[in-house]
Amino acid sequence: MKKMVIRLFGIAVVITALMGIVPAEQVLADEVIKIGWIADMGGIAASFYKSQKDGIEMFIEETNATGGFMGKKLELVIRDADLKADVGANLARELILNEKCEYLIGPTSSAVALAATKVAKEFKKIIFFHTSNTEKLTTTDFHPYMFQVVPNTGIEGRGIAYFLAQKPYKNYGYIGLDYAYGHDQHDAFKESLLKTNPNAKITVEVWPKTGESNYGSYIPTLMAQNPEVIYSSLWGGALSTFIKQAAPYGLFKKTTLSSLYDLDMLRAMGQEMPENLMGYTRCPFYAVDTPQMKAFVDKFSKKFNDWPADWAIMAYDGLLALKKAVDTAGSTDSEKVSKALDGLKWTSLRGERYIRAEDHMANVGIYVGVTAKDPKFKDFLVLKDVVEVPAEKVWMSVDEIKAQRAKNPQ
Amino acid sequence: MPSALQSYESTRKSWLIAGTVIAVLTLLPFVLNQLGRTGEYWLWVATEMVIMSLFSLSLNLILGFGGMVSFGHAAFFGVGAYTVALLMKKAGVGFLPAMVAAPLASALVAGIIGWFCVRRVGLYFSILTLAFGQLLFMITLQLYAFTGGDDGIHGIPRPELLTPLSYYLLCLALVAGSFWLMRLLTKSPFGLTIRMTRENPERAKFLGINVKRYQLINFIIAGGFAGLAGGLFAELNRFAQTEYLHWSKSAEPIFASLVGGMYSLIGPAIGSTVLIFLKIIIQQIHQGLVEIWAIILGVILLGMVLFAPEGIVGVYEKIRTQRRRPQ
Amino acid sequence: MNLQFMLFILINGLSQGMVLFIIASGLSLVFGVLRVINFAHGSLYMIGAFMAFSLSSLFAGKTLFAFLMLMLLVPPGVAILGLGLEVSLFRRIYRKEHLLQLLLTYSLVLILDGLTRLIWGGQIRNVPRPEVLAGSLDLFGLYFPSYNLFLLIVGPLLAAGLWVLLYRSRAGNYIRAAVTYPEMLGALGVNVPRVMTWTFMLGCFLAGLGGVFMSALANIDLSIGMERIIECFAVVVIGGLGSVGGAMLGSLIIGVGVAFIQIYFSRMALVFPYVIMALVLIIRPWGLFGKPER
Repeated sequence: MKKMVIRLFGIAVVITALMGIVPAEQVLADEVIKIGWIADMGGIAASFYKSQKDGIEMFIEETNATGGFMGKKLELVIRDADLKADVGANLARELILNEKCEYLIGPTSSAVALAATKVAKEFKKIIFFHTSNTEKLTTTDFHPYMFQVVPNTGIEGRGIAYFLAQKPYKNYGYIGLDYAYGHDQHDAFKESLLKTNPNAKITVEVWPKTGESNYGSYIPTLMAQNPEVIYSSLWGGALSTFIKQAAPYGLFKKTTLSSLYDLDMLRAMGQEMPENLMGYTRCPFYAVDTPQMKAFVDKFSKKFNDWPADWAIMAYDGLLALKKAVDTAGSTDSEKVSKALDGLKWTSLRGERYIRAEDHMANVGIYVGVTAKDPKFKDFLVLKDVVEVPAEKVWMSVDEIKAQRAKNPQ
Repeated sequence: MPSALQSYESTRKSWLIAGTVIAVLTLLPFVLNQLGRTGEYWLWVATEMVIMSLFSLSLNLILGFGGMVSFGHAAFFGVGAYTVALLMKKAGVGFLPAMVAAPLASALVAGIIGWFCVRRVGLYFSILTLAFGQLLFMITLQLYAFTGGDDGIHGIPRPELLTPLSYYLLCLALVAGSFWLMRLLTKSPFGLTIRMTRENPERAKFLGINVKRYQLINFIIAGGFAGLAGGLFAELNRFAQTEYLHWSKSAEPIFASLVGGMYSLIGPAIGSTVLIFLKIIIQQIHQGLVEIWAIILGVILLGMVLFAPEGIVGVYEKIRTQRRRPQ
Repeated sequence: MNLQFMLFILINGLSQGMVLFIIASGLSLVFGVLRVINFAHGSLYMIGAFMAFSLSSLFAGKTLFAFLMLMLLVPPGVAILGLGLEVSLFRRIYRKEHLLQLLLTYSLVLILDGLTRLIWGGQIRNVPRPEVLAGSLDLFGLYFPSYNLFLLIVGPLLAAGLWVLLYRSRAGNYIRAAVTYPEMLGALGVNVPRVMTWTFMLGCFLAGLGGVFMSALANIDLSIGMERIIECFAVVVIGGLGSVGGAMLGSLIIGVGVAFIQIYFSRMALVFPYVIMALVLIIRPWGLFGKPER
């Protein structure tokens, strides 16, 4: 009995092997354009996966209904990088070489993004990002086949500093997770703040580890210095845990917390989210007042019975830009499309935008506002009095970028 | 469990097999090169498989062979990788010296960590290796200015001479050479002594053998090979990242040894290759499967632990010996 | 940093230690009796937390009653899951080598975590604290969250309950005997396999209970299982595998230690449990209350 099982298992293995080695196509490559998505499906990124997927799938469905890219239908291929950079790089390679994907969609994790972008560069395939936003992607690790539609860590850090520096706050606190993203944001924030408002001082900084579930020591430490504003690089689960734990300490009675209040986080907190916190987000569906956004939100909520999170919108937006680039280039070939990206103007969901030629960073800023209840949304708070800090005010100048690249040649 | 002594025996037949395997593996890239882009991808995968086989083989020196379960082996892999990354990217050192430095650096670290770890046995040894492994992981994570933290070090240069094809052959040569060295090791008096410390440490001590010293040397050698694997891996990917040191990376060679067969020398290489292959294939077969790969892997491991703990090689051996015996 | 501040941090560390104790004691007991280090203990705790989330959405309002219901219903649920696992899987590996046991429990982690994702999805979940515990008390001029104080009370109560169970009940006698000398216990006619099953269920019960408490303390997502299991390892190493008292001491050391390190050497907080683990293993591997060589 056992022998038979083993034999059958062996045969199954051989069949599976053959299925894999024999090149997986003979789909008439002319009629289909494959888009490979290196997703992060598990762990701390799990909460974003679904919205990203929804945004991407909706775009593909709509575009295919109207003829696709240059008459070719789009097909999505998804892989899971599991937040691991070497896995992500491998998958990027697999998607390009094996699945013959012409374009890549980036992951959630910045570490994976940095690895995947190199692979895209090696094979000269277009890649864009919808969630990972380390500034390195557009500065030191830039290559002409990538583009970025998420405000990068520099824009975020400097953007909020720019906004806050106009307020009369002098006493700042900082909390950020002790990893690259946290450090990048902090450095950008601090530099900009001290430049714009020399009277401001960051009197206390705390660096909890990633995955921290107990902020009980950090909260009193922050409060001990009586900051008027606390800038936080926390996000997602870490941020919601921090807020949940900080509220009973009375932190929000004395301080306002400035952080990334994306939709998934706001939904997780629900009605427990404190009001009057001055924070920012990357793409609030409820506050961006363009006809494109309204139409999009309408379609999205009907299709998925859900509001679109920031990532869904940015993924869709990136694909819109890609389509415009393809149409402008008159071809789906990545080589030609990448040239079209230089200075590309497109009608983003956020309004008319363009992609800067030197770093392929779209001029997308952050949206700053104050948390408040909204009768339209019973399950979560939103930001009101939303103002956009335009990218042009806070992104790195072309000269600064060139200097960065000179310092860190790839 | 098959007698450990039997499992390590060789015959002329296995030399023939080995020769054939090496020949096939050497010709493989030329075949793959004919298969266009898909072939290019599989060549890259084959290189990865070769390198990770070395990593798994190195662990098995401690695990199957020495009887010590180490959860921190990725630390040495990572040290090798970062050595290459730092030397080649930041210090402009050439490929060859960097590749020599990698196993040396990791052997050194293995010496330090191993000195503490071999003082404990069984479960305590295992947890201690886990603790040290994670410590090294976190130190790498925190030295943001030096190692780039969790962003890692990207853009390791690739010397002109190393095309994908020649790099594969280089890795194959190094790994085959390492395997041969390991084989010599396991058959040497040193190797036999290590086996004895696994089978019956008390007796070894009574014979006057300094068990700790042998285990430490074994640990260092294993660490060195892991470092070589790490260095080769870093050059293949052209980056080094903190995940290379995480305990989930340490788990990979353990699974490979389980699946392939930890009581044989070649087992871990087979296991590692099979697992890498499975993961790729399964993600290609059906989109839905991508989302449950972890569950599939868990089920496979579960099955192996319960029904075939001797791994593929063990099962193969069993079938072979059963056939020989008249029913 | 004045004395009030220090006391504040101390209380916070203690309350954190209490939650850790609840979870880690389960792990310690399971090892003591079954001689298995159950990697999947973290996953069971996570499932408990998610179960608490699902149940909490059934109860309207943030009443204390609702929370008590969670405490009463979730742990047995996890225990039943544990029963299933023990009977079908764990039983087969009691006599096998440690490595195989570890691999089995690790494969369970992969399976359970994957199933958790399938069932509950990847979203961050939040269990609100019961209204009466959601506020804070004025302590030494600073506001201390009531929920943490609640944990500070519940923790020792639970410890006392466990102590009574282990030292003053027949079942407890069997369990402690199974830790020390299972063969003798069997010779005395006690159904040792049954004792092991019950102990495993008790371990899962504690993991589930820890999940309930944690669900209201922080937020829930798919990574909390892994996070917690490593901390638990540190606790049982410090306290001694198999010792509940040791688990208490270990939890408090880790809890309070981390709380203070986070203030003074916050970048070291990451490595603190591992450093302690390594130190204990080097100096006194069987922990503070464990027995050497088993």
